[in-house]
Amino acid sequence: MTTISYPDTPAAESNPGAFRLLLSRPLPAISFFLVCGYVLLALLTLIPAFTRAATDPLLQLDLPDGTSITEYAPPSLRNFPSRLLGTDIQNRSVFYRTLYGTRTALTITLFASALSLGIGVVLGVSAGYFGGWLDEFVTWLVATFSAVPDVLLLISLGFILKPIDLGFLGWRDADGSGMPIPELAVIIFALGLTGWVGICRLIRGEVLKLRSFDYVSAAKALGLSEARILFRHVLPNTLHLVIITFTLGAIGYVQAEVFLTFLGLGVSDAPSWGRMIDDAKLELLRGVWWQFASATVAIGVLSLALSLLGDALRDVLDPKTRSRR
Amino acid sequence: MWAYILRRTLLMIPTIFGVLLLTFALFNLVAKDPARVVAGRNATPEVIEATRAKMGLNKPAFFNPAATTRPVAITSGPLAGTTRDKSTLERVGAFFDSRFFDLARFKFPNSIRSDRPVMEIIREKAPVSLAIQVPAFLISLGAQLAIALFVASRRGSGIDVSVTLLCVASLAVPSLSLYIAFQWLLGAKLQLFPVAGWETGIYAIQYAALPIVCAVFLSLGAGVRFYRTVVLEEVSADYIRTARAKGVSEVDTMLVHVLRNVMIPVVTNTVTALPFLMFGAIISERLFQIPGLGGLLVEAVFNQDHGVVMAVTYITAVFYCLALLLSDICYTLADPRVSLR
Repeated sequence: MTTISYPDTPAAESNPGAFRLLLSRPLPAISFFLVCGYVLLALLTLIPAFTRAATDPLLQLDLPDGTSITEYAPPSLRNFPSRLLGTDIQNRSVFYRTLYGTRTALTITLFASALSLGIGVVLGVSAGYFGGWLDEFVTWLVATFSAVPDVLLLISLGFILKPIDLGFLGWRDADGSGMPIPELAVIIFALGLTGWVGICRLIRGEVLKLRSFDYVSAAKALGLSEARILFRHVLPNTLHLVIITFTLGAIGYVQAEVFLTFLGLGVSDAPSWGRMIDDAKLELLRGVWWQFASATVAIGVLSLALSLLGDALRDVLDPKTRSRR
Repeated sequence: MWAYILRRTLLMIPTIFGVLLLTFALFNLVAKDPARVVAGRNATPEVIEATRAKMGLNKPAFFNPAATTRPVAITSGPLAGTTRDKSTLERVGAFFDSRFFDLARFKFPNSIRSDRPVMEIIREKAPVSLAIQVPAFLISLGAQLAIALFVASRRGSGIDVSVTLLCVASLAVPSLSLYIAFQWLLGAKLQLFPVAGWETGIYAIQYAALPIVCAVFLSLGAGVRFYRTVVLEEVSADYIRTARAKGVSEVDTMLVHVLRNVMIPVVTNTVTALPFLMFGAIISERLFQIPGLGGLLVEAVFNQDHGVVMAVTYITAVFYCLALLLSDICYTLADPRVSLR
């Protein structure tokens, strides 16, 4: 079957050169590999052998008078790598905490992005493509959610979701009390329900534009079903927005986790960068800088890399800038 | 122009109604019953009911048809013990005596900690927050514009590149880290300011200084980046080239020509930032122990204080809607072409 190329087809439908173009310049390439490095580190923590190493008891540091102290140990090269970045008040290795913090941060980012992108894309595409009262409703919903400031909506959602117990679903503890929503789920829901607004707006605008393109009218004239038009023609041409929003949104999610932990709405049973920075409030006054520094540097480098990567992706994937090249 | 303003105002009404619905749905339908949270895990249903009554939560959610019955008991005065009939107006009013319309009337359940009306607490604490946020906002706006104009006029130079890099870097680091670092550096290490605390009256200046400095530095990153883009767009316009060709000095070009036309996004940003001046300084108020509205919100979250969190969310959202409306109107006043669309 011969493939017909319609005159108005946006080239985003098949764009093999984009990735190579992205990696051709030094700064985006470095950012990309940095982000991949973070993801690999997070995956590394899932390996059982690695997990065992992190929980081995640390060797005691011996002082001249025979006592031993391990809390707040400064960074040193002994007991590599657990003492590399020092220890915190509970004798936990800052190095391993930073590493496991990567896992927490990326888990939150992944699931919160999935939720917000899912909601945003579905609502945006339906509003843009079908129009009518659905469009009016989604526009009203977007206006309402953007009227409440992000921070406050986040806090409100976290505040509301935290005490809810799922006892009504029949899941109960041994003593009959209901099961509270896991902290990670609370954060993910709160972030997901706050973050869908931006992508919804973007996608709705893009779909409104695509709807007027010739190839969509041609597909309708050919009698293709709405579903096929949506999934094969409209949706793939909005993917560039999804990728860019995912990359740039990840920065917001990582930093929101820090903010939520500061307010007491974060994870308390898993190591997280937010917890490390929150603990650092009191530690800095005692001269203990290593936990604060490693968490801040970890977040800073990741945010910087994601920001540069997002800007580069925008240059590469946005059809407007591409057609000019 | 008035037609445009009227149109924008009418369009704002569904949004405010949406905010009302959203807040109500979140706090009264989705949230766990605050009386249950306050009464504790093992409370009996009677205790929970009593707590609900005490907190003023035993009204129905949307409408109250049961309250529209005519006879109402007289509990005090010479006629105590008898009943009287409600007037029609009273009965209509009673129909709308529900939690939804309480929220619409800005009537929130009392704060759990101090059992005072939330609006009273907000009215007390607002001046403290504003005393820090307003100076910080004004200073940072001036600084952002000055730096943006300075950097944009030297585009591509070393100063431009390094300032841009600094802005990007300051956005990468979480704001909590920057606050803690500043607090440690300027307060504890260099001992320039007191680390935390608050005093009323004129003595508040020493305690307000560090939060203001921190807020200004933190806002520079995003602000300079945004205004730099806006100014660069203006600077590439033809009339600027004409002004330079005419011999207008660089300073005058920037201040007289560019700044005036850049005012539109500046005004929009300023007006929409106003609602956040009251509630926005959450991190800094908690770190510096300032008894303002941000600290109130954080405490309310820690104490499961339902009414306060609901009140702060709703009030800020309504203010934000009004601020958006106001900024649209200012936009029309600044750029007459807008209302002709």
